Amino acid sequence: MDPILWFGWFRADIIAEYAMMFWHGLQITILVTLICITQGTALGLAIGLARLADARHSPARQICRYLLRWPSTVYVSFFRGTPLFVQILLIHFAVLPLFINPADGLIISGETARSLKQNYGALLSGILALTLNSGAYISEIFRAGIQSIDRGQIEASRSLGLSFWRTMYHVVLPQAFRRMLPPLGNNAIALLKDSSLISAIGLAELAYTARTVAGAYSRYWEPYLTISFMYWILTLGLAWAVKRLEARYGRGDTR
Amino acid sequence: MDEVIRVEGLTKNFGDLRVLRGIDCTVSASEVVCVIGPSGSGKSTFLRCLNGLEEASGGRVLVHGTSVHDNHTDIDTLRSEIGMVFQRFNLFPHKTVLENITLAPTKVRGVSPAEAKQRAHDLLVKVGLLDKIDAYPNQLSGGQQQRVAIARALAMQPAIMLFDEPTSALDPEMVGEVLNVMQTLAEEGMTMVVVTHEMGFARRVAHRVLFMDEGMLVEEGSPEAVFDTPREERTRRFLANVL
Amino acid sequence: MKFPVKLLFSLAIAAVASSSAFAQAKELVVGSSATYRPFAYESPTKEIVGYDIDIIKAIAQKSGLQIKIVNTPWTGIFAALNNGDVDLVISGVTINEKRKQSYDFTTPYFEARQLIGVHKDSNVNGLKDLAGKKVAVVTGSTGDDIASREFGKTSPDIKRFESTPVAIAELANSGVDAVIGDNGVIAFRVQEHKQLKTVSDPNFPKEYFGIVVKQGNKALLDKLNAGLAAIKADGTYAKIYKTWFQAEAPTLPAQ
Repeated sequence: MDPILWFGWFRADIIAEYAMMFWHGLQITILVTLICITQGTALGLAIGLARLADARHSPARQICRYLLRWPSTVYVSFFRGTPLFVQILLIHFAVLPLFINPADGLIISGETARSLKQNYGALLSGILALTLNSGAYISEIFRAGIQSIDRGQIEASRSLGLSFWRTMYHVVLPQAFRRMLPPLGNNAIALLKDSSLISAIGLAELAYTARTVAGAYSRYWEPYLTISFMYWILTLGLAWAVKRLEARYGRGDTR
Repeated sequence: MDEVIRVEGLTKNFGDLRVLRGIDCTVSASEVVCVIGPSGSGKSTFLRCLNGLEEASGGRVLVHGTSVHDNHTDIDTLRSEIGMVFQRFNLFPHKTVLENITLAPTKVRGVSPAEAKQRAHDLLVKVGLLDKIDAYPNQLSGGQQQRVAIARALAMQPAIMLFDEPTSALDPEMVGEVLNVMQTLAEEGMTMVVVTHEMGFARRVAHRVLFMDEGMLVEEGSPEAVFDTPREERTRRFLANVL
Repeated sequence: MKFPVKLLFSLAIAAVASSSAFAQAKELVVGSSATYRPFAYESPTKEIVGYDIDIIKAIAQKSGLQIKIVNTPWTGIFAALNNGDVDLVISGVTINEKRKQSYDFTTPYFEARQLIGVHKDSNVNGLKDLAGKKVAVVTGSTGDDIASREFGKTSPDIKRFESTPVAIAELANSGVDAVIGDNGVIAFRVQEHKQLKTVSDPNFPKEYFGIVVKQGNKALLDKLNAGLAAIKADGTYAKIYKTWFQAEAPTLPAQ
């Protein structure tokens, strides 16, 4: 293909040549982000509740402390205290091979493991790492959100005979969720951007595509400017979605 | 008279602070008991022990013969029979008035949504707020919120109603509307325990008045006896200050 | 204590220097980028070691040159040669026509070829056998070029990584079927994994590494060439080659 120059310097032909790869990269980035937001939120809720777990009597009191609060605290501390990039490499090259490995995988081995790793290995590791990481951050958002709810709300609900879990589900979480939406939105945007780190283990998402193009042509403006715009559009879209949710769940908020 | 609540040697400590120092009393069916006393005397803590919002440090509370603080007691079922109204209303801000009232009957009692709505409707008529059925709590005045809170508690058709200073957070002009609802309830034969600073209400409505001070039940008796001819010096001093 | 140790070290070097029969006034500065194991890399004690280093040391000894090795980042290594910061460069530099226009090269001291790394049970015999299989390469490397030309630039079967060790790790974990990369690095990395082997495709073009000097520095070039010829003749070269690559040294062209 002959060079097509935009504004005298932007080699549009390079982007055109890799258009399909950018398109697939975009899809992978969106897929990873959506899956990790969903799973990370579910995990964050579970971890956040575990960090707040307490009971009045033995042995439930000891169970809460040693089997829920301590492990979840250590978990959150680890995933917030180590670089995501390191976690991705650790999971892909050390943890996952332990479980999925053609030779001696603890969960899956043999030919299934081989084809799984070759087709979805980086995707699995990337999603796992990003989910575990964002789960740690989201659990802190949940914890703060739940703790921000007035004790009187819980007492009113419990005095009506609603159990702890019903109180959580019907009274505490809906109110906490409303307050958590802005930080959750920030977290989702961070997650979208962090997904670029998965390119290091060979997942063909946006950053990987840009790296491929840069490697082939030794040109950096074109590929990286292109994905910058794509990420930017995506983050704007996410911010807009969060705004919509806030408007929808903001009813009756006294604050 | 049927005994509904029995309190035996109830004590409560917050750390080193002894909030309740051994309370003994009973409440009978359809009886209205007002608890009065200075701030920090343990009135609210006493009330909150009755439905297990506070753990007891010692002694026991029996409601319909069931021990409130026993680990084996199904506390949710027990609480569903004891309505409670709070000083700060504690309506659920993310739910409408109707949803506030129907939540517990539908989720705890399994009442059908239609029946729960009908019941809410009737209760709102009773507290005079039918026109606010679709409003959110932050659209209501304090007095209106407290009346909704009463309706919410009544929706569970409780045998007992506990009131924790229900008018203390209200502007003076709204106190009356809440007290009127409570008086109607009392006249209908509801068993009520009311922690209050409204001496007029206590004198007018209560069958029995308990005076608490420093975590102890200092004096109890009919409103006339306690207000007009108090036996204890501490009661006299308190009444001299508030009346 | 740091200073005296350094002082002792310098004294030791001075002692060695003065004991040499061919002691020269000027010490030559050798530039090498120590991030290319096994050619040149930093040992845990921050010493620069590797095949390139052993070669240049052997040559220096034969030719009576005093050398000092300086770790020079790859991106600035030719600039350092141009402005005289270093006198020569040995850093896995491929001899090509473009570079020959600006610099002078010694005769080859290493035959660089692309190698395929695969699992031992693999029946891959050459590039053609990799069709339809997952192939890992280093982004923008010669291996990337070869794979892109053979399977298409945007082929999802090509998985690009930032460095050879990462690509090899992916192969070891069965994330890919093969790795294409520089023979020296591939051979070195493959021997770290007992389940892997190398396959050479005779159709891959041969390239050679040479020592680089400033254009026109014939005096130095001749000394280096003489030294290189001497260590090839007396078996030192073969010994060094075997030390680093566990294989017999190939016969290199004289020019």
